[in-house]
Amino acid sequence: MDFILAGFIQAIHLLFGGDAQTWSAVAATLKASSGSMAASLLIGVPAGFLLGYFDFPTKRQLRLLVDTALALPTVFIGLMVYAFITNRGPLGQFDLLFTLRGIAIGQTILALPVVIALSATAVESMDRHLRTLLISLGASRTQLLMSSLWEVRYGVLAAGLTAYGRVMTEVGISMMVGGNIKWHTRTITTAIALETGKGMFATGIALGVVLIVIAFSVNVCLSFLRRR
Amino acid sequence: MSRALYKVENLIHHYNRQPVVNIEDLTIKPASITGLAGPNGSGKSTLLKLMAFIMRPSKGRILINGHPAFPFDETVRSQVTLLTQEPYLMRRTVFNNIAYGLKVRGDRKDWIEPVHEALTMVGLDPDRFSNRYWNELSGGEAQRVALAARLVLKPRVLLLDEPTASVDAASSELIRTASLSARSEWGTTLVIASHDREWLYDVCDEVIHLFEGKVVGTGRSNMIFGPWVSGPGDRHYKDLGDGKRLPVSMPPHTEATAFIDPGAIQLLARDEAQARSGRVLVNGTVTRLSLEKERGQLLADVRVGTHSLAVRVDESHLAAMTLHRGWPVTLAYRLDSIQWR
Repeated sequence: MDFILAGFIQAIHLLFGGDAQTWSAVAATLKASSGSMAASLLIGVPAGFLLGYFDFPTKRQLRLLVDTALALPTVFIGLMVYAFITNRGPLGQFDLLFTLRGIAIGQTILALPVVIALSATAVESMDRHLRTLLISLGASRTQLLMSSLWEVRYGVLAAGLTAYGRVMTEVGISMMVGGNIKWHTRTITTAIALETGKGMFATGIALGVVLIVIAFSVNVCLSFLRRR
Repeated sequence: MSRALYKVENLIHHYNRQPVVNIEDLTIKPASITGLAGPNGSGKSTLLKLMAFIMRPSKGRILINGHPAFPFDETVRSQVTLLTQEPYLMRRTVFNNIAYGLKVRGDRKDWIEPVHEALTMVGLDPDRFSNRYWNELSGGEAQRVALAARLVLKPRVLLLDEPTASVDAASSELIRTASLSARSEWGTTLVIASHDREWLYDVCDEVIHLFEGKVVGTGRSNMIFGPWVSGPGDRHYKDLGDGKRLPVSMPPHTEATAFIDPGAIQLLARDEAQARSGRVLVNGTVTRLSLEKERGQLLADVRVGTHSLAVRVDESHLAAMTLHRGWPVTLAYRLDSIQWR
């Protein structure tokens, strides 16, 4: 028990003392996750809206595909992305392996089904009277779609935050695609795995504290949005 | 003769292949107030949605000012508006809910004055209500805000689907007054679906009766629903409560609906009522006397058991008999005057 307590105390020193390795991992995580979230929201929100709003022949099958993709293990995504961006893969010429951009691509694939599925659910739960109301007040087709999206904004934001939480805490993609290279692609989660394996509990705990703080902040926001 | 504002031609609409509206011809004049009456499932709400161009009909067409119109047409956007039965507001303040229609129409930026005017029309204090959110309103207040959001557009056509069904009496009165003032102030054409027939007969220039999606008549009508009870011989009855029964001819099936025109019923004083062959006598009490707007004739509402029947009163009859509220009378009608659906 003493070493755990000592670990917490040293973690505070590392964080507030500005330990370079610790904060390098935090910075790498924030860069990769921000890029992946931007991409998944840009693609996922419109896709989720279309999936939830319109009725079309293959809607049910598409929804099944998206829901299945929610359960993809991160190591599997990491493996597939690795296969594509390695030198022998079809995207090898872009030098994405062992880079933060490569990690961001993998995390986008992880986050996309979450954003699409939860956005679609938010849109499907939209009150059926909204369409009647908006048309009654003179909305054009475009205004109808934009206003409908605005009305479910809290649900869509919650989808984004849920995806962000998943992306922040994944290990498989970061490890396989990023390679856990110090100062470059070492993220919070890969650093925790490495430091714990070396017996450096203080660094692991410090990074874990950062993760918890971020996860807590995300959940506070989610809780606020649920009440809206 | 004024040109029709609305003309419905061979309008048919299905839900899951079941026809819910089937109207060959219907005309509504500009600046008129038209009522739609009928039981639940008669197609009133669907007809209003089609007239509001919320959806396209399965077959047929609706013309405005002689031209076919469709959802999202410029000719109908912001000109034709529908207020639904259940109050529904967007997740924003009262002010922004009402200003929404002005925004999408591209109206001037200064929305404060028209929004406040609309709130005042529905009896809500702008200073107290403008900044409230949609979830901080009672049901009656929400429906009034919903109406204000339509009135602020000064629409050419205001369609009201049971506007007072889910609100308290005070809100109901305010909603009715505000709706009617749209006609008097701007010449707005009103089409009102309501179960409150007395209100419809009072305010409407014409009341159209719908049954199973079809127009079955206009003006005052007596609609009596099954089930029917068989009696001795070929007689059938409707139990009207309080021990009263309404004799009818043989219904086509137990759940058929009987229609008796108010003009087919004769109003007699109790002491002069005599049984005649083919004529049925039923006792009742006068509860209301009103003027039928469409025909300019006097109508008496007569309570028989727990039901009310409308009877057109001949002027000569009026002179010959005492007639006022609470007066006992006898109704006489022929069994073959009953129409069945």
